[in-house]
Amino acid sequence: MFAVYRELEGSTRLAAHVLRRFWVLRFPPVMEELVRQIYFTGASATGTIVVRGAFIGTLIIAYVIEVLEADAALAVKMLLWVVLREIGPLIAAVLVIQRSGTAVATELALMKISGEVDSLRHLRIDPHDHLVVPRVLGIALSLAALTLYVQFIAVGGGMVLSALVIDASFSELAGYFFLLASPLDLAYSIVKSLLFGGAIAVISCYYGLNPPGRSINAVPKAAISAVTQSTIAVMVINVVFAYLVYGVALFGLFTAKV
Amino acid sequence: MTTARAAEAPQLALGYEPPPGGPPGRVWIASGTGHRAVPVNDAFKARLVAALLDLEPQPGAWLAVLGADAGGLGDRERRALRSRIAFLPANGGMISNLNGWENIVLALGYRDAKRVNAALPKVSALIDRLGGSPRALLAKLPEEMTLYEKKLAGYVRILLEAPELVVAENLAGGLEPEDRRRTAAFPAAYHAERPDGVFVQLDDAPDD
Repeated sequence: MFAVYRELEGSTRLAAHVLRRFWVLRFPPVMEELVRQIYFTGASATGTIVVRGAFIGTLIIAYVIEVLEADAALAVKMLLWVVLREIGPLIAAVLVIQRSGTAVATELALMKISGEVDSLRHLRIDPHDHLVVPRVLGIALSLAALTLYVQFIAVGGGMVLSALVIDASFSELAGYFFLLASPLDLAYSIVKSLLFGGAIAVISCYYGLNPPGRSINAVPKAAISAVTQSTIAVMVINVVFAYLVYGVALFGLFTAKV
Repeated sequence: MTTARAAEAPQLALGYEPPPGGPPGRVWIASGTGHRAVPVNDAFKARLVAALLDLEPQPGAWLAVLGADAGGLGDRERRALRSRIAFLPANGGMISNLNGWENIVLALGYRDAKRVNAALPKVSALIDRLGGSPRALLAKLPEEMTLYEKKLAGYVRILLEAPELVVAENLAGGLEPEDRRRTAAFPAAYHAERPDGVFVQLDDAPDD
């Protein structure tokens, strides 16, 4: 119980540090780290995510049509509800946890164990500024961009497939889509993705900078903790966010179009 | 004893006494001393380096740096004093995901970013002077460098800022005889940048 409290407190402190020290991006080394992180998390992951997004989108549409004997309107609603609002951000988050969460936790744990974090201190550079701020911002921005990719590919792919197997043209499906979708859906998924990305990065950085020991065995343990806790955090954020936005809907200010 | 030490602090570039019951020995280097090699054992060195880098002596220990008694400093004074000290760890202190050039200008990028682009000729000259190959070293990742190259890159990084006190840990330790000879030029390179600076080598004690 104490360990859970310590980990929560540590992660919260890291998140607060990132929010407080945003301005360190003006330093060239931090900006270079940010660019590296965006390249690794965002750009180099697009190939994988395109394939997964297309598969998921077409799979959902195929099931909905087969099981629910859906018409065009229902197929589009399912795409909107399931893919745009929920599956898109989740697929991107899972991919980022798999690739970047493990990579960040492993890299930072190795840096900690090999004394590189201390080397930064010797240089009078705050390790959190150099290592955590660009990773958190880079992963959050990349996850939001990957979510857009997934949504575009999955929704677009789903509508193309639907047009082939049900009695509706692509333009009809697209018409339904633009009728039913609201800017809130997009804003909702992007804000949620930024939160997912921030949480994954903060948790991965926390476990990487606090490995359970100074031996090389601590590195995989740090990576496992980062993946496990990031996954839990993503699920919790998803539930809380969905409840806040579509449940009580910010005191009734917003309601989902269904 | 305390009064005597306080009176001596202004004359010291580096003074350290471990706490009672700690490892025996003391470091006592007067201001203006150009270059001193101090043989220390591992326990003493660990305490001294920790105290020096945090400018916070362990309870019961005493530390004087560049004429100031570190025990009585406030946060702002401590930060200001810390900016006048550089430490070269035995492994060179490289960051593994940065190449030689990025490692060398890392600290400069935080403190004086405008100088980074103009630093290339000086960095190349310093590497060349200290027996390295600039073109190769600047492009290498730390995992591709020899121990001497890591120490050299770490040292050039310090020379770019040339602070008043440089403390090098076990400078020649673990090096081939040829590379060990090259490190003999390190203090002179520092004094060429900072003639009034103090260069301290913390070498392994002979019985270690």
